[in-house]
Amino acid sequence: MLASVEVLPVDGHPSEPDGFRDFVEARSSALLRSGWLLTGDWPSAEDLVQTALAAAWPRWATLTRQDAPELYVRKIMVNTFLRWRQRRWTGEIATGRLPEHAYGDVFAQVDARQALIAALDRLPARQRAVVVLRYFADQTEAQTAAAMGCSVGAVKSHASKALARLRDAPGLAELMTGGVAS
Amino acid sequence: MNTEERQLAEMLHRVTPEPPRRVTVEDVAFRLANEAGQARGGHREPREPRVRRGLGLGNLGRGRGWAPVLAAASVVVVAGASAGIAQLASHHSPATSPVGGPSSFSASASTVPSSAEPSQPTASAGPTWPPERIADGMWDAELINRQSFTQASLAAGYAGVSSLYAISPGYLDRISPVTGEVLAEVPYTSPIPGYPNRPVVTYGQNTVWVLSSYSGSNVVLTGYNGTTLARVASVTVPVSGQVSSTPQGVLTSNGALLYVAAGSSVAMVDPEAHQVMKQIPTSGQVGSVAVAPDGKLYVSTGALKLLAYNQGTGAQLGSSSMTGLSSTGGNLVATSGGVWGTVGIGMSEWVWFAPNGDLSQAIRVSQGPGAGLYSVPTVSGPTISGGAVWIGGSQRLACANPATGHVMASTAIPADNGVVEYFGSVTMAGNGRMFALYQNQAAQQSGVATLTPPAACSG
Repeated sequence: MLASVEVLPVDGHPSEPDGFRDFVEARSSALLRSGWLLTGDWPSAEDLVQTALAAAWPRWATLTRQDAPELYVRKIMVNTFLRWRQRRWTGEIATGRLPEHAYGDVFAQVDARQALIAALDRLPARQRAVVVLRYFADQTEAQTAAAMGCSVGAVKSHASKALARLRDAPGLAELMTGGVAS
Repeated sequence: MNTEERQLAEMLHRVTPEPPRRVTVEDVAFRLANEAGQARGGHREPREPRVRRGLGLGNLGRGRGWAPVLAAASVVVVAGASAGIAQLASHHSPATSPVGGPSSFSASASTVPSSAEPSQPTASAGPTWPPERIADGMWDAELINRQSFTQASLAAGYAGVSSLYAISPGYLDRISPVTGEVLAEVPYTSPIPGYPNRPVVTYGQNTVWVLSSYSGSNVVLTGYNGTTLARVASVTVPVSGQVSSTPQGVLTSNGALLYVAAGSSVAMVDPEAHQVMKQIPTSGQVGSVAVAPDGKLYVSTGALKLLAYNQGTGAQLGSSSMTGLSSTGGNLVATSGGVWGTVGIGMSEWVWFAPNGDLSQAIRVSQGPGAGLYSVPTVSGPTISGGAVWIGGSQRLACANPATGHVMASTAIPADNGVVEYFGSVTMAGNGRMFALYQNQAAQQSGVATLTPPAACSG
């Protein structure tokens, strides 16, 4: 976990669009959780969300008129994630996971999260994106297809293949049928 | 959705944790302002994460976060006709062959009399200028030297005569902390261009150690007299496997011994006997090493694992990791409270602090897009009883508490007509004054600057 000790201020940033702050405050947690599912760690999730929000900032008035700021932000997140993954160096396989700080059965929660991320790591990037958009962000197949720039049929195909892979992921079946509370 | 899909959705919502912190509007504004500044300065970062951290000659211009390296090069080229650079060029005699060690890599040591050296040091010559107030006078910054130095290469020596050392193109320089004058120089070319390469001073012997070879299976350290820069020793270090292709701080010292990353091992070198004392095997190619005041040796491997060893025995004491990173981390600095380092996260350069050397507890200290090696953390003073960790860059210059990781004070680094300026490689000389490397692309200025940080930075 990387928490900010101090976010250093910068002067002269462009003026803040109306409603942007409310959106960020209301939705940043959900967006970050989606980012975590996509990337597997908080720093990258935060970077993903910041990237998407920075892209949305100058278009904010248009996006709110279309009542679609969150769809746009998620679209940027997914496409940024897919671009990162295309270029990602995979020469070294990480061997551990960051422990999270929580209450209750800490170790069980950590195990559950590790199992989840390990399972998602098995998926190709586009299948992983479909899982996050469809089953975590609760987007429809059409919305998911629009965000990813593909057809609804492709979304169904990715979802089906992802589910098949996840069925074989160690520890995930137990999580899906009960598992550990967060 | 069918039952399986509903179970998956329910599980994702249940298991996915709450984030440790929220993204704020200020975070986004910070990024936008930086991107705008970078665009104005002509150093816009690529909009993708850096795949590999570093700037080998083969990927010049493609690495994220290395804009200052390119900028530094451009300063030399563009400013070639300016008065300052012209004087500098006349000051430096044409470079002879760079100093290098023997090509074999078995453990060996040799003491080299300076009279036999092909690359003789030069007692100086450099012109001096009156100190010039710079960067809007932040922290009383004054430029005392107008030479282009390699980022993150400034070091201080305390034995005998107080001195600064830095690497300039083709040379290792000894610099007066009083006048900024180059007091001595010796031809030297960094074997790891684009990566941090800070000279290490061993005080007992008044010797300045640098890497003279670092590629493949070949690591050679060369020692120079701290006053004259006459070459006094060369130590060839055995390498386990191959050295890291992303060396980010591979040479350090605890005052008594030198530690150098040598492939999947760290070599302990006796700087007095010029011998390799011990080879500590590591589980992974070492990208960075640091020594802590409590006797621990910290080593980083890959992206990103931190291993702790006993500095004397080499016994492993622990390990921790930060996963999911797409680039290696490094530039380790160890203090009484833990370990500091850098990592490229997306488009940003982050400095992190791991309390007690535990990466799983790491916190972000700063986020400096485009800061390059100027953001490499450095330490000053006795960090057990005070002192500070310094983090530079193009946005803020900050001092942090070496025990807690908290920023104690910081100041904005101004932009000169929208073009970024850089401060970094902060170090404290024997006379107690603080120095940093400075670069201003707009004014085509660079050199060593003095700083007077606020009292809060004293800890």
